[in-house]
Parts: sequence; structure tokens; C-alpha cells
Amino acid sequence: MSSKSQGVLSLLLVVAALIAACAPAPTPEPTQPPEPPTSAPEPTAAPTEVPEGETYKIGFSASITGPGSSLGEPERNSAEMIAQQLEDQGGIVGPDGVRHDVEIIIYDDESNPDTTVSVVRRLIEEDQVQVVVAGTLSGNSLAIVPVVTEAEVPYISMASARSIIQSPETGETYPWVFKTPQENVHSAQWQALYLQNQGITKVCHLYENTSYGQDTFAGAQKAFEEPGVEIVYSATFERTDTEFGAQMAGVQSSGCEAVVVGAIPPGASTVTVALRDFVPDLPVIQGHGTCNQAFIELAGPAAEGIVTPCGRLLAAETLPDDDPQKPILLDYIADYTAFTQGAPISTFGGHGWDGVMWAVEALGSLEEGMSLADQRAAVRDYIESNISGWPGTGGVFNITPTDHLGLTYEALTFVKVEGGQWVYFPETDW
Amino acid sequence: MRVGADGVGPDPSPMSGDRSLSRRALQVVAVLAILALAVAAVIALGSRLNFGPQQYLQLVLDGLRGGTIYALIAMGFVTVFNITGIINFAQGAFVMLGAMLAVTVYDSGLPLEPPLRLAVAVLAGIGGTTILGLLMERLTIYPARHHSTLTLIIITVGAYIALQGLALVAWGAKPYVLPAFSTLELQDTTLRFSGLVLKAQSFWIWGTTAVVLVALAFFFERTLTGKALRACALNRKGARLMGISVSRMSMLAFGLAAALGATGGIVVAPTTRPMYDMGLVLGLKGFVAAIIGGLVSSPGAVVGGLMLGVLENLAAGVTKPGLKDVFAFVLLILVLLYRPEGILRRRGRVVEQS
Repeated sequence: MSSKSQGVLSLLLVVAALIAACAPAPTPEPTQPPEPPTSAPEPTAAPTEVPEGETYKIGFSASITGPGSSLGEPERNSAEMIAQQLEDQGGIVGPDGVRHDVEIIIYDDESNPDTTVSVVRRLIEEDQVQVVVAGTLSGNSLAIVPVVTEAEVPYISMASARSIIQSPETGETYPWVFKTPQENVHSAQWQALYLQNQGITKVCHLYENTSYGQDTFAGAQKAFEEPGVEIVYSATFERTDTEFGAQMAGVQSSGCEAVVVGAIPPGASTVTVALRDFVPDLPVIQGHGTCNQAFIELAGPAAEGIVTPCGRLLAAETLPDDDPQKPILLDYIADYTAFTQGAPISTFGGHGWDGVMWAVEALGSLEEGMSLADQRAAVRDYIESNISGWPGTGGVFNITPTDHLGLTYEALTFVKVEGGQWVYFPETDW
Repeated sequence: MRVGADGVGPDPSPMSGDRSLSRRALQVVAVLAILALAVAAVIALGSRLNFGPQQYLQLVLDGLRGGTIYALIAMGFVTVFNITGIINFAQGAFVMLGAMLAVTVYDSGLPLEPPLRLAVAVLAGIGGTTILGLLMERLTIYPARHHSTLTLIIITVGAYIALQGLALVAWGAKPYVLPAFSTLELQDTTLRFSGLVLKAQSFWIWGTTAVVLVALAFFFERTLTGKALRACALNRKGARLMGISVSRMSMLAFGLAAALGATGGIVVAPTTRPMYDMGLVLGLKGFVAAIIGGLVSSPGAVVGGLMLGVLENLAAGVTKPGLKDVFAFVLLILVLLYRPEGILRRRGRVVEQS
């Protein structure tokens, strides 16, 4: 989306928010959005006279610019889309029948952890939001965990590292932190299954020198051990690298039979081009950080035949009809395509959608007259106990007090690049 | 205090022939010993990874390609430093601007055949960046020309940040694609010689740099403007007394540096995915190359660039590839500590210019 249309869009949103704030009585009986089964309870008040309560605020921050922007932009689009839908339906109605407008305050964290911390502080302290959905990148998400924990604000991350929701040392689940994306260890489990199926026992692992890349490597170390896949060579690279000779020399002389890459575009794409030049015969398996069209566009023909575990979103239409996620996915794709006027679907936009929808649903459970601190605590409790059997874009979530993601590796599926597109690549075709 | 050009002023530490000779011999022995140690270390570390000759050759080849880009960028540092005495940290921004402008023109839908469109895009990238370089000098350096060198250097850092910020606004944070020059597509031709991999773009990089070197030599040796620039490099006051406008030469130096940086950015663009922040690392590496070459000579910059490219690639290849940038900057520190006058120059040439 061009910056101009972004400007126009944000202007429209501001104007729309102003109009909504000045509007008289809302339309009665607001229709619920395309929501999962466990949506907010029905309003109890008389449909013609719905009392109006305070405006709820969701703080949203993503990497709209900077290296994470290919992920952050679709996330932002999803948040804007939900804001628009909520406005069209006239906000949400609580269990006590009071109607509330929902404002989604959107900031850009510039793919920078320091900026993330400062915008999230601003959301919490100045904007007084009930819940924060933020952090496109794992590094940025990790940076705000202490901030939200200290302020006791429920926080939903859109990044994948497990360490965002759970202390790697003690295994303790951070009480205020949730996240929506499937994990690198889930990706690694899929990769292990695939490698096993292909009879490959020696792999090379190349990963970007970022939190995400390091987490993919940690996930691979964990998941590859049991099926007996040995990582015979591992190396990091930088997104800005113009030569990969050092990594390729290592890959060539290590004798590995496949290369696993942990990176997001453009780094994932440039390293794929190098791999195709140096080791054209080795299969290349990516992680789910490449689940967007940008990866293919930036890698060109080198992307052909690359396989990766991905969320079901990219293969929605090819899923069996009894898949519990299918209707949600198709609705999301239709809504997102219409809202963005044809922007490509990416799973990252889905991660943003899942997070904001949890927040919206939790806000819908609040009673009128609670203090901000109580509201925040109630939102946290709601997400922890009620997001269960909840089909979103990332999988069917089952959040528990000890698992603030609630997904297994089955939330992902396997896809392959064919003719410049990601296509469903089920186990039966391996 | 400024580091003057070769041959200006008296040698401050004249030594007797014998002493300097034995010292030279000792130095040569020390250098050879260090080199032998380094080669032994590389081979020892490489054997740990089962590296054969093919791997080493590939690393050197890749290093020569990256190093050529560093050399082009380093020549921009040298040009500005020679003529104005300041280190222009905005050089990296020129690299990025060259690539981004070329991409923009190429993608703009000009009704031309792709080869012609690419040529126009390349020229527009270099031309546009040169104009921006001239403008930058007029708008930021010229008004502050009476301030200290340090102030001017800090201004160039500011100019870099401003240019990168403007690029972010203009192009957003997404990576772009400039097609490979040989295929005019994203996918480049790959040449293979008994296991060695060479991209067609590498020849464009080397060829362009060779042409640029010849053109620069011609410009400095044979044209009046080039000679005037050299005069400023040798002795600013003297040049001014001869009726050369030093301020115009300063502007020209920035324009030239911008053109060199842009050329580097454009030829390297097909091997990476240009985006608004690509100039930072490339600019800093170019600076390291310029320092290795002694900061005052273009041939030095070329040698420095190639050395940096090869050394960082070899070192990273046999240890951890993620440490590539670390090696480059460690090399910078080592050169600054032990050979601040650059590897090509003899000691005792650092002179003060009043």
C-alpha cells in the first residue's frame, strides 16, 4: 500500500472515529462480526435502547517500517480492518447490555526494540489501553515483556519465539503475556517429519542473525534430535550480506543432504538464491517466516520447489471442508482482500487478526464500571480461560494457564512453491 | 592537523640509511611471520571444516567481488578526504541512493526495451545521486566550511541519517529488485568451473570498476578540472593562489564521491535486494577499505577494498560466517593502531599542513 493511501486511510479512520464519537444513539442490535463460536454473550438490554459505556482501547503496535515491514504491514492492515468492522457494527455490547465503542490505537515500532518499548509504554500510560497487541518481531516482543508485566497489562504478541511467553530458564509462563503465531519448534517438528520421510539424516542449518533466526535454530536442535537428524553444519548470516560464500563453503564441505533455513525475506530469499547456485541438488526447507508472497518475489525462480511448514491460511482453499478453521480462513481472506483492495494474503496478517480478535472478545466480557486495573486483569483472565477450542487463522487455539499459545505443530501445514505460488503439499504427496 | 598528501613538507623523522634499512628488514620479517601465521591459522581452521582448495578459491573469489564494491565506495572516501580533508560518512547513503534511484527508474514503466531501460536507469541512478551529492555539499558542508574538520565530519554523519530517513519516506522499508545486467531478470546467469561458482554480475562489477579506474586516471591526469582537483589535494592554499576555486572543487569532490558510491550501489544491487538501509554496512566497509589503503590514494583504496573483501571472507569462512563484519572492523582497529598511514605507504609521511 502506498504511503499516500496510508495517509488517506488513517485520516479516514480518524474522521470516522470522530463521527462515531459524536453520533447519537447507535443502531440497535449490533450484528456480531464473523466471530468464532465462543463469541461475546448476547446483549440483554432491550434492542431499541442500548445504554452506552466508555470506549475501550486496544493498543496495537507493529513493525510497519524497517526490516520487519513485510510482516508488520499485513498485521497493521488486519487491525485497521477489524477497527472498521467494529465501527460498522457499532462497537461491542457487554454482558450487562452496555454498548462500547472500540478504538484500536496503532503505532509503528520501526522494527526497533527500543521504539517498541517506548510506544508500548505510551499505549499503557498515556493512552490507557485495556490490552496491548504488539511485537511483529521476536526481539521487539521480548523487549516489552517486562514492561507489560510490571504494568500488569494483558499483552498479545504476534511473534513466534517461545521465550516471549515462557521463561527459557525456569519454564514459568509469564502471566500477562500471550501470543498467536505458531512456534519455530512446531516448524522444526514438521521439518523433522519431512526430513525423516525423505530419509535425510544430515542437514545444514543457516539462520539469520536475529532473535527469530536463533529461535529457529534452537527449535531445530530440539526437534531434530529424536528422529535422529544431525545438524552437521550451522551458520548465521546477515540480511544485508551480498555474498554467502562463507556459508556456502561450509555447506559444501559438510556433506549435509539438505539445508534448513531460518529467516524472513529478504534474507531468506537471497540465501535461497545462493543455495541454488552452490548446491542446486540439495533440498531447501524454510521455516514459517517465509510464508508470504514477498519471499517468492524476492527469490525469483530460485524459490521453485522450496518447501516449508506454514499456517493453513496460505492453503485455505485446498483444505478439506470439515476443517474447523476453513470458514474462518475463507472469511478472513475475503474480508482482507476487500479491505486492502487486493493486497496479498500473508499469515502474519492472520497473526495480527487472531490477537486483535482475542482482545475484542475479551473486552466484550467486561461489565460496566470496572476500574482500568480491574478491566486489564479481567481481560487477561478471560483470554487465559476462554480462548479454548477457538479456531483462528493460526490454528485451533486451546489456551491454558501454563500454555499461553495453545497450539501444537498440527496448527501448521506443509506447503511448496510451484509456479511462483505457495501450494498445499500434504504428507501423502511427499 | 591534517594528513597531507604524499611528498608535501619535510619528512619529520629523517633516519640514517643503515638504521632505516635494518628496520625495514625487521619489518618485512615481522610481516612475513604474521602472514605465515595467518595462513597456517586459516588452513588449520579450514581443515576442521574439511575445506579443500575449491572452498578457499571460492572464498577468495567471493571476497574479490565484495572487495571491488568496497573499493568503489572507498575511492569516494578518498576523493573527498584528499580535497576537503574530511571523512564523508554520507558515502553509504550515496551507495543506497544510486541503487534505489536506478530501481525506481527501471520500474517506472519507461516505454523502452529492457536493455535500454536498464542503461537509462543506471545513468539516472548515477546522475541523480551526483546531483544529490553536489546539493548536499552546498547545503551542509559549504555553509560550515570555516568550522573544524570534526564539525564537518559530524555534519556528514547527520547527512547520512537524513538521507536514509528520506529514503525510508520515499521508498518505504521494503526490499526492491534490480535485475541482473546480463539476463535482465532477477535470476542471474551462473557460471561453473570445476565446482567454482561465479555469477555473471561479478564480471559487471569487476568490469565497471576497471572502467571507473581508467576514467578516474584520465580525469585526474588529463583534464584541467582533474588537475585542479589534484592541486587542491596537494596544497589547498597554493591551489587558491593559482586561481582555483577551492570551494567549487570541494563541491565537485562530493559530486564525484556520490557518483562513485552510486556506481558501487548499482552494480551490487542485483546481488542483493536494495532497500533504504543498505548503505550503512557498505559505507562502513568502504571506510575500512579506505583506511587500509591509507585514505589518500585511489590505488590504495582498491587494494584496501580487495584485501578487506578477501580477508573477511576467508576469516568468516573458516570460523563463523556470522563474524564477517566483526573481522572487518577488527581489521580496521588493527590498521589504525599499527599502520595508520595505510598498508601501502611508508611510515613518516604524516605531515602537518598549515
